[in-house]
Amino acid sequence: MSMLRLRQAAPALLVAACLVALSACGGTEYPNSTFIRNTDLNTATDELWDLLLFWGTIVFVVVEAALIITIIRFRKRPGGPAARQIHGNAALEIAWTAIPAVILVLIAVPTVRTIFQTQAPAPAGSIRIEVIGHQWWWEFRYPDLGITTANELYIPVGRTASFELTSKDVLHAFWIPAMGGKRDLITNKKNYIWFTPDSSLGSNAYNGFCTEYCGSSHANMRIRLYAVQPDEFESWARHQARPAVFPAAATDTAPAGYSFPIDRLPVHVAPQTPIPAGLTYDDDLLAQGDATRGATAFLAGQCYTCHTVAGNPNAIGVIGPNLTHIGSRNTIASGLFPNDAPHMARWIKNARVMKPGVLMTTIGKGEYDPILKRTATQGTLTDQQIADVVAYLMALK
Amino acid sequence: MASIAAPTSATSAYASGEDTGIWSWITTVDHKRIGTLYLWTALTFFLIGGFEAVLIRTQLMRPNMGFVSADTYNQLFTMHGTTMVFLAIMPLSAAFFNFLIPLQIGARDVAFPRLNAFSYWVYLLGGIFITLPILFKVAPDAGWFGYAPLTTTQFAPGMNIDFWVLGLQILGISSLAAAFNFITTIINMRAPGMTLMRMPMFTWMSFVVQFLLVLAFPPITIALFFLLMDRFFGTTFYAIAAGADPLLWQHLFWVFGHPEVYILILPAFGLVSEVLPTFSKKPLFGYNVMVYSGIMIGFLGFGVWAHHMFAVGMGAVADSIFSMMTMLIAIPTGVKIFNWIATMWAGEIRFTVPMKFAISLIAMFTIGGISGVMHSSPPADLQQTDTYFIVAHFHYVLFGGSIMGIFAGIYHYFPKMTGRLMDERIGNWHFWLTFIGFNLTFFPMHFAGMLGMPRRVYTYDAGQGWDAFNMMSTVGTYILFVATIFFIWNFLRSRTRGAVAGNDPWGAGTLEWSIPSPPPEYNFAQIPEVSSRYPLWDLKDPAKTAGIEHSHADLMTITDAHAVPVHEETERKTAKELGIPMPFPTAKPLVAALTMFLMFSGLLFLRNGMPTVFLIVTIGGAAAFIATLYAWLTSPLE
Repeated sequence: MSMLRLRQAAPALLVAACLVALSACGGTEYPNSTFIRNTDLNTATDELWDLLLFWGTIVFVVVEAALIITIIRFRKRPGGPAARQIHGNAALEIAWTAIPAVILVLIAVPTVRTIFQTQAPAPAGSIRIEVIGHQWWWEFRYPDLGITTANELYIPVGRTASFELTSKDVLHAFWIPAMGGKRDLITNKKNYIWFTPDSSLGSNAYNGFCTEYCGSSHANMRIRLYAVQPDEFESWARHQARPAVFPAAATDTAPAGYSFPIDRLPVHVAPQTPIPAGLTYDDDLLAQGDATRGATAFLAGQCYTCHTVAGNPNAIGVIGPNLTHIGSRNTIASGLFPNDAPHMARWIKNARVMKPGVLMTTIGKGEYDPILKRTATQGTLTDQQIADVVAYLMALK
Repeated sequence: MASIAAPTSATSAYASGEDTGIWSWITTVDHKRIGTLYLWTALTFFLIGGFEAVLIRTQLMRPNMGFVSADTYNQLFTMHGTTMVFLAIMPLSAAFFNFLIPLQIGARDVAFPRLNAFSYWVYLLGGIFITLPILFKVAPDAGWFGYAPLTTTQFAPGMNIDFWVLGLQILGISSLAAAFNFITTIINMRAPGMTLMRMPMFTWMSFVVQFLLVLAFPPITIALFFLLMDRFFGTTFYAIAAGADPLLWQHLFWVFGHPEVYILILPAFGLVSEVLPTFSKKPLFGYNVMVYSGIMIGFLGFGVWAHHMFAVGMGAVADSIFSMMTMLIAIPTGVKIFNWIATMWAGEIRFTVPMKFAISLIAMFTIGGISGVMHSSPPADLQQTDTYFIVAHFHYVLFGGSIMGIFAGIYHYFPKMTGRLMDERIGNWHFWLTFIGFNLTFFPMHFAGMLGMPRRVYTYDAGQGWDAFNMMSTVGTYILFVATIFFIWNFLRSRTRGAVAGNDPWGAGTLEWSIPSPPPEYNFAQIPEVSSRYPLWDLKDPAKTAGIEHSHADLMTITDAHAVPVHEETERKTAKELGIPMPFPTAKPLVAALTMFLMFSGLLFLRNGMPTVFLIVTIGGAAAFIATLYAWLTSPLE
């Protein structure tokens, strides 16, 4: 009968495992936990979750206990009692129809209340942010602040951030688990979600994800959210609204704007994606990169056809991310790699090896383009030219 | 084509001088043989889908793995879902519909035996059509749900989605034809005295499922037809550049997709409702309520589709309504769980392998049901949807529910199908490894999801707090892989070396156990007259059914059907000796399926710059299909 004992023990072990794991769910070990009450939205949601978990646990224990007691007590034994022929019991059946119904009412009432509370229009004075999904990166616009940026999002703590979501191509979904629930980005439609990071939060960085399957690099469509102090946000916004100044004039005395310090990035926010094997670049060239030459190479590589750099009259493309202040970002490729010279160089050389399916063509001279299935020839850049472009982009703080 | 050839060796138990050559399988119209074909084919697809899961879990074992590429992974998860839903679980249920329904209601075959064969061949061809492309890395890659506009030619220019849209369209024809067949069979062909409220619970749940099929497949057929027109003929139902609303697809898909969940689970509910009473030595508790709750689940299943869409922004009112409708479904489902437990209460429970699988359905489906209620609450669901929490939930429903129930059914009915029992010792290994592997695979996914892991990702970064859960899931999948090897071993070996079963190895109470195992081609030498829900218990152990209503059919029906009171049939004569007319074997259903298949596959040439080939193949296929149908309709059945 050892089999039977194991069968009895299994649900108990599951419950134990469940409780142990749950107790650990709030800590830094789980940076994307949905149980952290950072915002009003997450607090409302998590209160509902607690209610659901409470009733769910009770139902689980009652059903599994009834099941286990029944199969142990009424197992066939030599000399045991014969089966009693019961065909039904109206009172019992009414009871186990009615009791779940009552539990569901207890869940439904706060559910509906929370639906209307969280889907109400955003409170006045919130920061409006347009989120536009692209395969496979995020465009963020602050229409009231005149900012267009990509993949990295800044919001001040203590003030509601109100998002207006849409997509340029296929469906995507916007989700920052530590801030609240998700909302789909739908082509030809606008969606809304808002939340208010608690004013007591220190400046911190969070991960976000695309959660609607959107093709090859769905897994590589990530968000970095910086919820920072209001003065830091002001500084960031003021700087980001300005065009890139290149080359930096000696007379330009405007202080550099705030950006989230890279040395304070939590481990889980710093990308750890390995560089694909077979993509080689001589990092020694990067030291000789020249930003002025890079500005020219930026044109030679036809980067301007897809990317905007405000302040560079040629670069007005809107297919790819806005690069105006690319040098101030901590990641590239929608959070796939850190924004440093070696990664940027390889990205420019052959983005399609770095990130499956990406629209940006292979630019490195003589590199094989895995989507067009041929060696890149037109508008290509040598490794030295790439080093120059990297220097140019890094200068766009 | 192993799936066709294999059954020839499974027929050794057919000892009554029936033809068992390959040709006899190709031309068969016998519902039992068609059920056997379904079983073998669906199990083959189940193994393919399972193997895809092993590859998926290997890629996700650790962060930033490079075991398969992003595109291969996307094909794998799409095909895993498509295969398990359309090619494994649904046809495994169909295997039982085919084999069991006529036996349980005391009929000699289904209403339309040739249409039944047609359904099978269409399923086989559609299944091969949709599965083969993965060998050439052009498998469908937009998920089993295929959300527009990712499936339109603008974003999916390759042939991948062509295979998917045509394959599913073909498979839908199979399901619809079968559903009409079983509805007609159940309504018209019950033995005298087999009133609707005496039908075995499996037949009842199957009956409900056939209506779900008939009502749920039209919406997806329309959705797929729009997509087909978009992809092949340039219409703009889903073309975003022309202003299409991508939610059109989602609504049509889920109006099908949610009832589909009940199409997948209700047959398993039916199977365990046969297994639990048998091994508890008690009738099913609350039969009427079990019937009504099944109907209720099927009915409500059509009013909850948008709970798959809480993130699309339907507005607070729609979210609230679909939320409450969804919660309502928990009530009839809960009733079933409690009634099953009450069925075992005060019984004499024998822990055979089928019983263990049936009990674990109750235990595991409960977990899936509870997590289901958790995402019936939209604000909570917005933290859960499209994460691994959902993956955990529906695997507790579809594996913990459907697959556990189907395994219970296979172990329970294998002796009826083959005349031999499956091995209990190997079966126990299979069960325990499945139970442990299943929970190790899917329970940690609840945590991964609530801790922020999105689903449908081919990889994830290190340091996100998901590593341990993913490792557990992968190890669990490997255990399931080993468990399945035990099953295959048991299944193959028991066909020839299992203990001989006899008519009724388990002491069950329904009609199918009154005839020899495997049943002769005509099923019942004499049509039985049924006087209660458990006619065989009436005969062998009347005390068991003393408390339920008994009555006899009117004399006229009994005489018309030449029915005799239920008895154990032991003699095995040929249909000819007994003077029972049997339908002629015919290859026309296969030819009809093949020509229809040709008609559809001609479209593949259209998008590859070969319009002439398209015209020849499609028009030629259509003409041949119509000609075959004509020949079919003008040739006599028996």
